[in-house]
Amino acid sequence: MKKRISLLAHVINGIVALFFIFPFISALEFSLRGYGGVGHTFENYFWIIRQQDFSQAVSTSFKVTLLSAILVLVLVVPSVVHLHLTGYRYRKFIESLSLVPNLIPSVSLAVAVQFSMPNWMQVSYYELSFFNVLIAFPFVFRSLDSSLKSIPLRTLVEASNTLGGGWLKTLLLIIIPSVRAATIASVLITVALSLGEYTLATILHFQTIPTWAVNVSQENLYGSVSLSIGALFFSWMILVTVVFFPKLSQGIYRKFDKRYSI
Amino acid sequence: MTRGSAVKFSEVTRKFGKVVALENFSLEVEPGELVTLLGPSGCGKTTALRVLAGIDELHTGTVSINGEALTSVPAHRRNIGMVFQAYSLFPNMSVSENISYGLRMRGFNGRKRREKAGEMLELVQMSALADRMPAQLSGGQQQRVALARAIAIEPRVLLLDEPLSALDAQIRVQIRDEIRRIQKTLGITTIFVSHDQEEAMSISDRIGILNHGVLEQIDTPMSLYKNPKSNFVAEFVGLSNRVPGLIVANRTVKVLGQNLKVSTYSPRCSEGEEVYVLLRPESIVLSQENEYFRIISKSFLGSVTRFEIDGGIDQLLSVELGSDLAKDFNPGEFVGLFIRSNEVMVIKS
Repeated sequence: MKKRISLLAHVINGIVALFFIFPFISALEFSLRGYGGVGHTFENYFWIIRQQDFSQAVSTSFKVTLLSAILVLVLVVPSVVHLHLTGYRYRKFIESLSLVPNLIPSVSLAVAVQFSMPNWMQVSYYELSFFNVLIAFPFVFRSLDSSLKSIPLRTLVEASNTLGGGWLKTLLLIIIPSVRAATIASVLITVALSLGEYTLATILHFQTIPTWAVNVSQENLYGSVSLSIGALFFSWMILVTVVFFPKLSQGIYRKFDKRYSI
Repeated sequence: MTRGSAVKFSEVTRKFGKVVALENFSLEVEPGELVTLLGPSGCGKTTALRVLAGIDELHTGTVSINGEALTSVPAHRRNIGMVFQAYSLFPNMSVSENISYGLRMRGFNGRKRREKAGEMLELVQMSALADRMPAQLSGGQQQRVALARAIAIEPRVLLLDEPLSALDAQIRVQIRDEIRRIQKTLGITTIFVSHDQEEAMSISDRIGILNHGVLEQIDTPMSLYKNPKSNFVAEFVGLSNRVPGLIVANRTVKVLGQNLKVSTYSPRCSEGEEVYVLLRPESIVLSQENEYFRIISKSFLGSVTRFEIDGGIDQLLSVELGSDLAKDFNPGEFVGLFIRSNEVMVIKS
């Protein structure tokens, strides 16, 4: 009986794997086709790199992503910790509130936030970072929330305080290392979402990797698919890191921390 | 070597909404003294500790150490060591890193931190486990590390918030004795919070009894037990029998056929008034004269044996006798009772 269930599970897993892998392999094969669909070559990938706006789109995307990640670390992580310490009963409310940006149509969100931004920010592509943080917030919040619930946060903060640790030192030396897997996962999810965000960048007329890819597809379909494959591979690497990071980070963190402690 | 500091609470009041956790709480602790705050759950003992540590605010009153008012000093600048009830070791740090955390906050260099951590580990007999992570330690070991971490910073005052309550009985006694040994060695002023009377009696120079945020009495363990100054203290500290009595003259009560002097801390009662007399189990002696009372049960507790006696009142009387004397008395037998206290506490019925 056990063997039959195990066989059935393998068959189902195989079908699900094919469902995901088949389109990816097809797209990969398509991106490698030569001129006129004849033969296979890496020419389409080289073609992307040669394009004039490519480096600018990559640079914009990476700058926006970097700022998004910094905002998550500097604003969101301390805020969620603060919420756990001082407004624990409002957690459910904040959790529901965090979903709002995902429920509002992108156009409305873009217009509303655009008008609430100062003028100098409205013309800067860095404003996309604030949208990205909003979009990533439900995932970031849940990840941090469940991790913070699993540690005796208040006692740790109070213990650190009585030993001379102020708020910042307690946050950096005690809280974040205690929930480092969730913190790093939050940052990586934000990075993945920021790199793939298309709708708001288009509405606000900023050229990032996804918007550039759409423009390029009108000129070279093979090239745009190559770019999508590249972006997908990058995002996939990030997600793999998120999944395997808890074990990996432990070793790295211990090595890093030893330099600063006894 | 840490030198003790004088601690003073002056009319401290702390409220949580409508609940008054501490009300006009005043207490002075001498340098090097170990004072235990004892009381039932929710009586405000932990709040008093947290207010002194600066991790809880007070509404009125002041707290001071060596005359320096601490009200506006944040917790991380008070130099007070605290051991919490829940194991509060930092999970991302090893034992020695935990101990040296406070020193790191004070800017000590690596060599000094290592030296001090080694010293503390030796003091709590944990040198072999310096590199272990908290998750690899037992509860007792974790509390030892927490104690070492708290005293490594050479605090002006050490606060212990029920540090033994999560431990099993044997480890509890062991750590309790260790705390007392270390406290005496370092001469550090210590405030210990507990709801366990035996623990408080065995470890303290003085015990303060709290009830609904009010300090009912503070005294040495012996005085507290022998001369309780309120009904609450008399009933809370140690086991007490509540036996009906009658006031027969000014400050004289008749109980179980005997006339006894009423304690000066008892409420004023008039002649002919019916009262309850509080009698300690060891202040009642069994005798083979006037055998009116029946032994219901007998429990051997080691050096003493406890009897439950039907005294003809609504509850059974508890009587404790040295185990060597107790062998002459058995359940079902009738015995006489003799009260050997000079003074007894009475409460109005």
